[in-house]
Amino acid sequence: MIEMKYSEILKSNKELGDNLKSNSYSMYIISNIIVHQIKEILEYLLRVESINANVELGDYDNIVQDSIKYKESNAIIIFWDLCNIIDGFHYKIELLNNDQLDEILEKTKSEINLVLNNLEKTSLILINKFTSLPFSHANIRKTRLHEFAVQLNCYLEEKIPANVRLVDLEKIIASVGVSRSLDLRYYYSSKALYTVDFFKAYAEFVKPFIISANGRAKKALIFDCDNTLWKGILGEDGFDNIEMSLWTKDGFVFAEIQAMALALNKQGILIGLCSKNNPKDVDKVIKSHPDMQLRNDHITINKSNWSDKVTNLKEIAEELNIGLDSLVFVDDSPFEVNMVRAQLPETTVLQVPEKLYEYPKMLSGNLGLFYNLSITLEDKKKVEMYKQQVNRETVKKGFSGIKDYLASLELKMTIYQNDKSIIARMSQMSQKTNQFNLTTKRYTESDMNNYIDDDNSDVYAFSVADKFGDNGVTGLCIITSDRNSKTAEIDSFLMSCRIIGRNVEYAFLDYVIEKITAKKITDLKAKYIKTRKNEQVKEFFDRCSFGLIDENDLIRNYTLTMNTYVPKQLDYIEVIDGR
Amino acid sequence: MEDRIKNVMSAVFEIPADQICNESSSDTIATWDSLKHMNLIIALEEEFNISIPDHEVGNMLNFELIFHIINEAMQNNK
Repeated sequence: MIEMKYSEILKSNKELGDNLKSNSYSMYIISNIIVHQIKEILEYLLRVESINANVELGDYDNIVQDSIKYKESNAIIIFWDLCNIIDGFHYKIELLNNDQLDEILEKTKSEINLVLNNLEKTSLILINKFTSLPFSHANIRKTRLHEFAVQLNCYLEEKIPANVRLVDLEKIIASVGVSRSLDLRYYYSSKALYTVDFFKAYAEFVKPFIISANGRAKKALIFDCDNTLWKGILGEDGFDNIEMSLWTKDGFVFAEIQAMALALNKQGILIGLCSKNNPKDVDKVIKSHPDMQLRNDHITINKSNWSDKVTNLKEIAEELNIGLDSLVFVDDSPFEVNMVRAQLPETTVLQVPEKLYEYPKMLSGNLGLFYNLSITLEDKKKVEMYKQQVNRETVKKGFSGIKDYLASLELKMTIYQNDKSIIARMSQMSQKTNQFNLTTKRYTESDMNNYIDDDNSDVYAFSVADKFGDNGVTGLCIITSDRNSKTAEIDSFLMSCRIIGRNVEYAFLDYVIEKITAKKITDLKAKYIKTRKNEQVKEFFDRCSFGLIDENDLIRNYTLTMNTYVPKQLDYIEVIDGR
Repeated sequence: MEDRIKNVMSAVFEIPADQICNESSSDTIATWDSLKHMNLIIALEEEFNISIPDHEVGNMLNFELIFHIINEAMQNNK
């Protein structure tokens, strides 16, 4: 948990806020109790990650009306506390008759419905699960308050749409402790129930949701080997003496670490090695050590050599085509840890704790770094696809011209138009794609659904396959149009970085423009919005015969008169209509 | 101790510490509302590792009173 004092957080938060220039991410906290202290604490935690969060508070006990007022914000957090469902509910409930209790239950359910309806189009909503813990933790018998909470939670679980995530308050209260979580002094005078310590833990707990919604979840976990994946030093202790089995005390810890890495890998997180070792020795362990759980199939990239770790990590990011800030690196040596932290501040570095038995707890405490709002089929396939990419790089070296090489891949592109079956994946791409992304607009599943339903917009996506395998759905384009003026605009155009370099973006644009032309549109507008990561597509529209109208530091505006478009007609990409 | 109080007040009310004097009060500091007052009490308790008695919370409405009440609370905590 954050070690800083509350006043230090207030101060640092203000300084960070004054210096952050990026687009603001607006959040509203709506509640039926006073929770205002969460504002700066949550802002601070997000601003440290350079997300320029602006957290505002709704009115006291006004959840339903506030849900209309603030539905436009990027995210909403709802503190709906049982104790104040009606004034003093936590003690009155024991004296209510069943009819009265039913009435309150039904009233709350219908308020939940109203709120969910009002927030139907909001990108992300976090709702705290109901809990009786603050008032019932000392009761031996089940209290009515507890049963009431269970009923409401069941209702929530059944009802929640794709843009809502439930926050398990009891986990947060458990981590802080009941008495440290609550400050009854201000409960009785001001309806403020929770302490600053509670809010610190709460903000840490919900941070991964916001990080993920901003497209900033980590993508790869890179391990040093000696004393990080196994006990011992391979080059000194030898193949037979390193430990990672259940049968030794220290080995047990490393067996658990490897199993955790395997589980992450199954969710689509890439696993890599970055270790100072003889490559052949490490290969032998991966291939044939009986206790090794991580095998070649799981390890996407392996930099076991004698170069320094900073160089190796840079190469890893480059070869996987992800940012250095998408990497989490684990090492046991304080020297290496500090060097990487100093030279690659954007990379998250975890150090194996001195007390080895705390290692699994440390890693599991950091799993939030990889949290993804939507885990889809693509994630599970992704690991396989990155491996194919490494194979392709190898084949590439044998060809003289890039065109010959691309032709040899036998590229097949399938394009989908307004296809609701891939909404989860499309929304995820908009949230996670940073490099090949012209406007970097983040959309949730419900946003995507709205674009598909709207007659004035079209959502195109493509998947690409080649002879090495299927890359799955990896590109997205959203077009909004105005039939009256016969103009349209490219709202979003993005492509996953793992398929960059095959020119499929041109074939995709050819296809989309053909579709737009068929709709009698005469002019097409487009934008490049600069971010820290999308420099590589700065001139994409220039390359596609769009005319630059104006530009400033942040935005380049383009227009295209449809009949002047010169299609690239790449004969080595077969385009298939996926509808 | 005066400086530590001023630093806390500066963080809570978002004003420079050197603008806070003995006469500063909820009347002279525009951002000092009831919610900020709650933050002030909590931040001071954390800063000095004390518990401010409930009946004093409402009295801490200017710098001098704050100073006095914290002093007392620290004596009692010993």
